[in-house]
Amino acid sequence: MLKNIGKNMNSFKKNLLKKRYNAERRFQWYGKIAIGLALTFLAVFMFQIFSKGYSAFQKTWIVTEVHYDKELLLIDAESPSKDDLENADYYDVAYKAVTSLDPGLPEEEDRQLIQMVSYKYEAEVKDLLLKNPDYLGKIVPIKLTASDDVDQVHKGNYPRDIPEENRRVNDYQLQIYDMLNERGDILSEFNISFFTSPDSREAELAGIASSFMGTVFSILVCLAFSFPIAVLAAIYLEEFAPKNKFTDFIEVNINNLAAVPSIVFGLLGLGVLLAVFNLPRSTPLVGGITLSLMTLPTIIIAARASLKAVPPSIREAALAMGASNMQTTMHHTVPLSMPGTLSGTIIGLAQALGETAPLILIGMVAFVNTIPGTPVDPAASLPVQIYIWSESAERGFVEKVSACIMVLLAFLILMNLAAQIVRHKFEKKWS
Amino acid sequence: MSKIIAENVNVYYGSKQALFDVSINIAEKEVTALIGPSGCGKSTFLRCLNRMNDVIDICRVEGSIKMDDLELNSRQLDVVRLRENVGMVFQKPNPFPKTIYENVAYGPTIHGIAQSKEEMDQIVETSLKKAALWNEVKDRLDEIGTGLSGGQQQRLCIARAISVSPEVILMDEPCSALDPIATAQIEELIDDLKKEVTIVIVTHSMSQAARVSQKTGFFHLGKLIEFGPTDKIFKNPDNQQTQDYITGRFG
Repeated sequence: MLKNIGKNMNSFKKNLLKKRYNAERRFQWYGKIAIGLALTFLAVFMFQIFSKGYSAFQKTWIVTEVHYDKELLLIDAESPSKDDLENADYYDVAYKAVTSLDPGLPEEEDRQLIQMVSYKYEAEVKDLLLKNPDYLGKIVPIKLTASDDVDQVHKGNYPRDIPEENRRVNDYQLQIYDMLNERGDILSEFNISFFTSPDSREAELAGIASSFMGTVFSILVCLAFSFPIAVLAAIYLEEFAPKNKFTDFIEVNINNLAAVPSIVFGLLGLGVLLAVFNLPRSTPLVGGITLSLMTLPTIIIAARASLKAVPPSIREAALAMGASNMQTTMHHTVPLSMPGTLSGTIIGLAQALGETAPLILIGMVAFVNTIPGTPVDPAASLPVQIYIWSESAERGFVEKVSACIMVLLAFLILMNLAAQIVRHKFEKKWS
Repeated sequence: MSKIIAENVNVYYGSKQALFDVSINIAEKEVTALIGPSGCGKSTFLRCLNRMNDVIDICRVEGSIKMDDLELNSRQLDVVRLRENVGMVFQKPNPFPKTIYENVAYGPTIHGIAQSKEEMDQIVETSLKKAALWNEVKDRLDEIGTGLSGGQQQRLCIARAISVSPEVILMDEPCSALDPIATAQIEELIDDLKKEVTIVIVTHSMSQAARVSQKTGFFHLGKLIEFGPTDKIFKNPDNQQTQDYITGRFG
């Protein structure tokens, strides 16, 4: 009776009730504080990465004029063919294009201007003419990649107030930069080459294409090796294997394997895959197999858990219909467990994606300036690329590290999203 | 005529004995009800009849169970063939999370009963009609079976069980999860089915046993206390324990 609600409220009871409510309120606050702290850390981390890294998606160009002088190019033919253009000598033309930035500069000081563009300026001058053969004999404007130092100055990452002898950009170069900037001859555009170029020793030219492809190939190899093995192992252990001491022992070992530090797997890859089987060093093939050793236990555990989650009533229904064990498993249990298995697999792969130590051991840390076309070409991987760049002294690599982390995080978020979608969309409901 | 003759059946779960020397004759094309308090072993006995106890690792069955002179409790017996002939309906409706059609067609498919698509359609239709579900689902055979109501799901499970034309159907408290209307439908169905099939039903409801069965067996603590015509068990049992259970004095 609600009439009794006000009765019997002596002070002791009142206090007790108040305490209970307070305890709950306190507990909720602890939870909120914990979540708040976690979000703060995440926000600080993200802010760090983004504020440092966003500028890497911009590339700085220096605009100058180039005169494609036939004489300087050493082209004799009246109407030169593609081969003639290909084999022409661009050294002088390119040199003049750069030094024309300051015509008054004495010749022995020319290095100061050359240092302001990337060392590939000659190739850039050549590429423009090969793309537009009718420029021959004309004076045309050209965009040259700025050196990483000028790039950093332009992005405001380089302090100008330190003494000249400690600066990689001297006063003269700063003066030229300011002059060009005022004229509007310094351009800042979206950095496509960051995504299309392989690694380079020069920060302004370095890109993630090789490590990105390396990561993609490694993950594919890892998936191809670990998924079938893990799913078969899980199905056998869960549905067919007798429950005895031996299978218990195997289960304990699988759980332990999931907790083994990844560097140990790297040593295994080094000692077995490279030394015994002589697989090609520094390749996504070896990297992927090594990573699959790591992903195996994760997938096995996820697959077993989702097999276990299939209600026994479904198995009983199939068995009672006269289905064999194999039919029960393949027609009912496994299809029903697939969403869980797949999302476990994707999460396992996402872990492997961020793995660095084992890849360093099997040589995927090597400097690779080609884009791998197959899993047996040498390659780096995104996390290893972060590691390599973070060790470089040049200021230009600082933002590249953060940008590479951003790409890796985007990759991870995509994969985890895929896992969520697989789990929610394909999970079947049973009453 | 006896369809199933069980003699001295003992069942052990590990070291614990669940059934003690159960002997019973189950008549053909009749409904036999097994009643008794929870944990008395009636479901355990039922599951001996289609060897579903095989699923439980620690379970051991001793004694002889003969169906048409075929020894069921033998290593040589092919359980797949046995279960094709002995269907089962469970306590909780457990349709596959597939379409209604696929649910009914599953048995005929794995046992190779239908030769063509038309034949399969025919089997599905007949089974659903026999299970008194056809009119409710004929327009939505491609909907998921688990989306039906509880009573419909259980009738779907019965349709699935009869799709392979079994000789015996075992029912393990088929109505315990259903409301009275659905229960009445299932009981009516049992009455129809017994013209063609031998039915063994485990039930907690004594009134249900009285309504649907011709023979009743009373189990208590793993022993078959009394077995006989339903009328006699309910009106004039020989055993005092049976009398007490029927009249609600214990259990």
